[in-house]
Amino acid sequence: MIANSFEYSAPGSLKEALALLAEGAKPLAGGMSLIPMMKLRLANPEHLVDIGRLPELNYIREEGGAIHIGAGVTHFEVESSPLLLGKCPLLAETAAYIGDIQVRNRGTLGGSVAHADPSADYPAALHALDAKIVLTSSEGTRTLSTEEFFLDTFTTALDPGEIVSEVIVPVDAGLTGTSYQKFLQPASGFAIVGAAARVRQEGGKFTMVRVGVTGLSGNGYRARNVEDALVGQDVTDANIKAAAALVADGQDASSDLHATAEYRAHLAGAYTARALRAALSRSA
Amino acid sequence: MTTTVTKLEKLVGKRIKRKEDPRLITGTATYVEDVKLPELLHAAILRSPHGAANIKSIDISKAAALPGVVAVYTGADILGVGSVVCAADLPGLRKPVHHILAQDRTYFVGHAVAVVVAKDRYVAADGVDLIEVDWQPTQAVTDPEKALAAGAPAVHPEWPDNTAFIHNQEGGDMAQAFADAEVVVKQRIVSQRLIPNPMETRGVVADWKQADKAMTIWTSTQIPHLARSILAGQLGLDENRVRLIAPEVGGGFGSKLNVYPEEALMGFVSMKLQKPVKWIESRRENFQTTIHGRGHVDYLEIAAKRDGTILGLKLKLIQDLGAYHQLLTPAIPTLSVLMMPGLYKFRNISAQVIGVFTNAVPTDAYRGAGRPEATHGIERMVDMLAAEIGMDPAEIRYKNFAGKDDFPFLTAAGLTYDSGDYAATLDKALEMIDYKGLREQQVQARAEGKLMGIGISTYGELCGFGPSPATPAGGWESATVKVEPSGKVTVMTGCSPHGQGQETSFAQIAADELGVPLDDVIVLHGDTSIVQYGIGTFGSRNTAVGGAALFYALQDIREKAKRFGAKMLGVEDGEVVLADGHCTDSNGNSVTFQQIAGAAYRGIVIPTGSEPGLVATRFWEPSNFAYPYGAHIIVSEVDKETGQIEIKRYLAVDDIGNIINPLLVDGQLHGGVAQGLGQALWEHGVYDDDGQLVSGTFMDYAMPRARMMPWIESAHTITPSPVNPLGAKGVGEAGTIGSTPAMVNSVVDALAPLGVRHIDMPMTAGKIWKLMQDSSIQEKKA
Amino acid sequence: MKIAGTSQLPFPPEKAYDLMQDPAMLALAIPGCNSLEKTGDNEYKLSLKMALASLSGQFEGKVTLTEPNRPYSFKMLVEGTGKIGFVKGEGVIKLSGLGDGISITSAITATGIEFAGDAQIGGSIATVGQRMIDTTSKMMVKQFFKKLEKLGLGAEGTNPEAGGTAGE
Ligand SMILES: Cc1cc2nc3c(=O)[nH]c(=O)nc-3n(C[C@H](O)[C@H](O)[C@H](O)COP(=O)(O)OP(=O)(O)OC[C@H]3O[C@@H](n4cnc5c(N)ncnc54)[C@H](O)[C@@H]3O)c2cc1C
Repeated sequence: MIANSFEYSAPGSLKEALALLAEGAKPLAGGMSLIPMMKLRLANPEHLVDIGRLPELNYIREEGGAIHIGAGVTHFEVESSPLLLGKCPLLAETAAYIGDIQVRNRGTLGGSVAHADPSADYPAALHALDAKIVLTSSEGTRTLSTEEFFLDTFTTALDPGEIVSEVIVPVDAGLTGTSYQKFLQPASGFAIVGAAARVRQEGGKFTMVRVGVTGLSGNGYRARNVEDALVGQDVTDANIKAAAALVADGQDASSDLHATAEYRAHLAGAYTARALRAALSRSA
Repeated sequence: MTTTVTKLEKLVGKRIKRKEDPRLITGTATYVEDVKLPELLHAAILRSPHGAANIKSIDISKAAALPGVVAVYTGADILGVGSVVCAADLPGLRKPVHHILAQDRTYFVGHAVAVVVAKDRYVAADGVDLIEVDWQPTQAVTDPEKALAAGAPAVHPEWPDNTAFIHNQEGGDMAQAFADAEVVVKQRIVSQRLIPNPMETRGVVADWKQADKAMTIWTSTQIPHLARSILAGQLGLDENRVRLIAPEVGGGFGSKLNVYPEEALMGFVSMKLQKPVKWIESRRENFQTTIHGRGHVDYLEIAAKRDGTILGLKLKLIQDLGAYHQLLTPAIPTLSVLMMPGLYKFRNISAQVIGVFTNAVPTDAYRGAGRPEATHGIERMVDMLAAEIGMDPAEIRYKNFAGKDDFPFLTAAGLTYDSGDYAATLDKALEMIDYKGLREQQVQARAEGKLMGIGISTYGELCGFGPSPATPAGGWESATVKVEPSGKVTVMTGCSPHGQGQETSFAQIAADELGVPLDDVIVLHGDTSIVQYGIGTFGSRNTAVGGAALFYALQDIREKAKRFGAKMLGVEDGEVVLADGHCTDSNGNSVTFQQIAGAAYRGIVIPTGSEPGLVATRFWEPSNFAYPYGAHIIVSEVDKETGQIEIKRYLAVDDIGNIINPLLVDGQLHGGVAQGLGQALWEHGVYDDDGQLVSGTFMDYAMPRARMMPWIESAHTITPSPVNPLGAKGVGEAGTIGSTPAMVNSVVDALAPLGVRHIDMPMTAGKIWKLMQDSSIQEKKA
Repeated sequence: MKIAGTSQLPFPPEKAYDLMQDPAMLALAIPGCNSLEKTGDNEYKLSLKMALASLSGQFEGKVTLTEPNRPYSFKMLVEGTGKIGFVKGEGVIKLSGLGDGISITSAITATGIEFAGDAQIGGSIATVGQRMIDTTSKMMVKQFFKKLEKLGLGAEGTNPEAGGTAGE
């Protein structure tokens, strides 16, 4: 459990950091995913650039009707931010489910998003929130939707030298109800499945539904089939159940020591329904 | 000199905070990793990535050439060092030679192949990466039943049947029991492999001083003196020139009741290089190379009358031994046989234990060591029998308990249980949990479609190890009490507590006996140059055996102090009492214990026939084990949709004999229950068919966390043990032993309406969900 | 560990089969492949760099293609060893012709692929990467067939004379 030797830089500005990254260095944020891999010598980067301390990546602010969160914000800061708790509670609720308090105190939103672990919690919420991911390199900045950003298992649209610099989430007005429901893998605490739901209702009908899922397969995803099955429909538990049962359709469910593909698919349905019910109960 | 002597409060029986905690929680305790010596070198070990492989060649040249690397040793270098010791013996036992580094073949993933010694840990690890081994992997076998099948790969080519031993034990007349039986229930029950994970992994520092021909070894062990004897033998050194220090030990749970290859290996390296060397086990190494626990496949048959009277129990026990025998590996399943009758009075048992080699790390003692498996077996079988004949699980237990007048009670397995009133303990538990009310609640819950279960386990265990003839290396324990001239007291115990709290409980005992403040007593242990020979800490023995040795040493001190006191008061020996820190004569004149201590060392007044000083040492041999027992009840509910189990209530009523410190007892019980629930619900050491340990990190090995634990309601009945003067039994393993069957019984009870009669551990949510799926399919078909 | 799955390629089995027997094409399609050199009959030396998330490792090994039955099936054995562990996989790949899915008499225009086999994974990656193995192997298979599809449709540059050495 001893890492190979590596070079470490802790630049004082984002610009400097990006310049180093353009030369092929690897970013280090909270280190909660990267350092364990290095200690096991499964990851052996030659040069780490610590972006976890950059003030330029550490903010949560409301701007132009959306909330902008710097990539360096820790899970604990997300979980406890009054702004997020008030105006985007789904993200705060999701962050509170991550790991343990030590992990949440160090791990960052940007690091988790960039890492794209297929069992990570944020992707579910970010899909459901129609979040935008802002990528920055020494060449400039681009903004992607979550579906454009999360490509596959541990695979994102990030180019070499590019970092996740910001995540943008909407302000959820009082009419929207949200919830994240997670089935914990007993050893790691990661999601066997996690489902995030965001709903609005009017006159007894669903007017807006977003469902994001993590853990089920190699990549978190937005369950559009569930959404489509509900929008315009009556708000009934039978409809929720029927729609949630579609969530695993077309997904190649993963299988491991802790859950067979069959069980995962079943849980995805169950937890999607739970998330939808909880979200509904919180929508005005 | 007449004084009013204030009566001192007795400390034994009080919830006293642990004396050892301040250093632990302020980070000032010294663990092996904290040992720093001038010119200390660091070792890292190359381990086999294969479950079974031939080593065609090893090229160490690149590693040896790495700047900072001091030496590299492989199997060829260590042939002069004795192999790893197994102290257990059974007739016909096959003992493979277990070299401290592999020779031409490796037998399990993690098997040590070479050691790199370097100026720091980082370079040593880099060196390991540079060793090139030409491996020729061969087929491994990791499932003990598959290993017994014809044509299975041979773990040790010289023994193609993979059988290390077959051990039979009969008691009574099993054939008759079956002939008389009106009902026989059979079940295959698995006690899965578990991976002990003390917070502190193993670690060794060895420091050889050529000029003195003296070796000092710091190692994280539960048995400093036994380890010293074994290591002196392996290294060919004089026992008195080996000093072994078990500094702070961050937990062991049985996994450090052992002497591992790395201990002799570091001694060898230090002698070769004439420098001190340190090796600290990584967590991954701990998973792969420190012993595992359990690993049973049990085939059980219980014979009974329809009225619930148990007639006999038959067991075929397949023990997954792993590739080698560690210190006690083959002995552990024989303990399961001894405990197979549980608390019940039936007279017939028949057991066959088959010890099987597999390409896996050896199994050995892990909290409970053989008794949890046995208890799980009998307590599951009793519940299954009850279900079969439609009897209440509490009632069937009452029907079969040994009665309180039966003690000392000779069991069908040949043990003599010391004392007990099993029905009283179950009475108390049933009353506390309102068993009748619960069963009514359950009827209601079932009517509402809920899966509510109530699980009882009435466990017994043998602990306080133990009479020397019944143990591989002596079962007595030792204590020295040294009173300093100031009257301060130093206790040296041969036990080696590492979390159990004897620095506190032994101080309580000493303070009470001598009438000194608790803070005047310190308890030393774990250093063979300070403490007289001792056996160590395992098998819930510290209080029952080590405490007894201490008690008798304290009586010697008391006797001597009284003689000095009498002399000082100018009265006859028999005319004084020693109480509350004073020696008082019939006239009410007294001297304090501290004054006596001062006088004993000053040497001016010496009682006739006595001598100066105030020190006593006792070695105490127990005449029997001690047998704690208890009743654990778990109320659970299973989520129909996901299979998740929720523990609604956990009640433990334990009878562990007299209690020295209830706070320590709670701690032992809570930890034990957590470990038992870990096995029942989550933990599983899994090897794949190729010998890879696939649950090899905490990402996949589900250690229970605080948030996963239920609130534990705890109470006691107290039946003192007649075996030792303290009347104490033992509590170190009780929670682990009592909890697993209570948990499984509870969940099986919850799922009984679906036709479920047994579930193997761990009862993961996915497994329960699958069971519910399958049984609902069957229901639909039927 | 069992591996099994299905895929489709938008050209007939003969073409799909030939692509999968062509070391130059395989070299381009196997994710992370640095080189694939012929070392004997149906045997190729493989050098592969696996880079996934922060995990990265160099593997050396070989690919063996046996039991050819053009265009229906063949057997493939892949072995690789690196510092972070080793992989050994053996499986049968079956190809079947697919029509337009409407008329049973339609011309065969695509290939259905079915693979099934056993993989042995050892060393560090087996011990510490359990939860990644399933998703990762699936992703690599997906990438392989996607690349093969592009190669078959001529959408990617090929380098046939490089003796099987190719890469990105
Ligand atoms: C015990 C434990 C339990 C955990 N449980 C959970 C859980 O339940 N749910 C969950 O979702 N996660 C869990 N995690 C993971 C945790 O959330 C990590 O913090 C997170 O995945 C990575 O964030 P980090 O800031 O620590 O990134 P790092 O570990 O520093 O980096 C991870 C990777 O992302 C790259 N990177 C980092 N920041 C950026 C950036 N801004 N732009 C581009 N690349 C970047 C790094 O180069 C590296 O490859 C757990 C981790 C641990 C150790």
